[in-house]
Amino acid sequence: MAASIRLLARRIVRDAFRTINSSVSVRIVSSSCPSNLSACRCFSDGAADKSTHFGFETVSEGEKAERVYKVFESVAQKYDVMNDAMSLGVHRLWKDMLLHVMNPQPGIRLLDVAGGTGDISLRFLNYVRSQQERVARRTARANQTPSWQEISTSYTTPTEGIEMETEARESRAVVCDINKEMLKVGKQKAESMGVSSGLSWVVGDAEELPFDDDQFDVYTIAFGIRNVTHIDLALQEAVRVLKPGGRFMCLEFSKVTNPLLARLYDAYSFQMIPVLGEVIAGDWKSYQYLVESIRKFPDQETFKQMIEDAGLFSVRYHNLTGGVVALHSGFKL
Amino acid sequence: MFQNALRRLCNETLRFQTTAKYVHFLRGVRPLSVSARHLTDVKDALPFDTSLLEFLVCPLSKKQLRYEEKTNELINEELGIAYPIIDGIPNMIPTDARLIKNDPETPVEPA
Repeated sequence: MAASIRLLARRIVRDAFRTINSSVSVRIVSSSCPSNLSACRCFSDGAADKSTHFGFETVSEGEKAERVYKVFESVAQKYDVMNDAMSLGVHRLWKDMLLHVMNPQPGIRLLDVAGGTGDISLRFLNYVRSQQERVARRTARANQTPSWQEISTSYTTPTEGIEMETEARESRAVVCDINKEMLKVGKQKAESMGVSSGLSWVVGDAEELPFDDDQFDVYTIAFGIRNVTHIDLALQEAVRVLKPGGRFMCLEFSKVTNPLLARLYDAYSFQMIPVLGEVIAGDWKSYQYLVESIRKFPDQETFKQMIEDAGLFSVRYHNLTGGVVALHSGFKL
Repeated sequence: MFQNALRRLCNETLRFQTTAKYVHFLRGVRPLSVSARHLTDVKDALPFDTSLLEFLVCPLSKKQLRYEEKTNELINEELGIAYPIIDGIPNMIPTDARLIKNDPETPVEPA
């Protein structure tokens, strides 16, 4: 009975606000008071489905997944361009930072969930390849003046065998995303860059990964976990597919600590980004969803707790750009 | 607003032209490139990389899959479902999988 009264109240509030809810000022108000009952449209969907948030709206869980899919389907073609425009190119630095902190060794296996257009995987492969080249150059330089020991070992053992051993374990990146369109764009990008070996593309759900247990050395999810309906399930799956000793790394938008910067950031998010979305990609609503979903995502400490609850250890986070982006990392031990 | 539409139209046509040129260039360059999957980009003939099968499993049962070349699908014998492979990318979403047996059940739902 309480539920039906709540439903009635919500409907009254919704009707009252329907007339004035299209203006940007309401969005700014709602950004400062994140309780989504008062200032937002409430799409309460029956008592059967559990409800969750889609930006500032309340939707059923099934609906959220579908709407997120539609958002990314429509932005897929212009995704990379929009990233550059919205972040003024800074997203590249964030992703480079992720790779730098990861510091992958050649021969490891990376799973890039919600990898979409493959930014992280391509960076990973480049990093590992340039490392291998550096090592190769160093050994070539060293071989120019080999010691007596090295000459004697090269006589006794077949050189081919030694070389094969180090090259046999080639680094591998698997990009997994729930959205086919994003993967298609990513695949085309990889082909145009000439990267094809060591990179695989799979359509899969982060909450139900199609991979065997204990398979990957590193699991990354960059700017994707806030779109997952059940974040705890995604974290559990991450723990499942990681090898013992494997690393979980997550880049995500987070809470800005400095209040002045926070206000500037809010103004930029709600005034500029949807406008950019409309001008460049022709899609205001998707980018409205983007900035709203950032506000709904838990802050650094809460997310750290969630990661620890899933069973990862030594969980740390680095704030990038004053807290605009946080890089969380944990280990499966 | 009309200017925006016009600008977008120009951008799209320009992009289309450049990608058309690029595709021609790429077709010439492709035979030279040495890569693991060296077949050309025909619709479905991109050979599915079977090395993926090492760790790719059914998301529902977490059991190994069998690659069926004829229908270009990944088959889970136990549950009798087949995951399609489109453009060389396997689609491992349970709701997109096809039932193989003639069961009157509705398609598989995610757990």
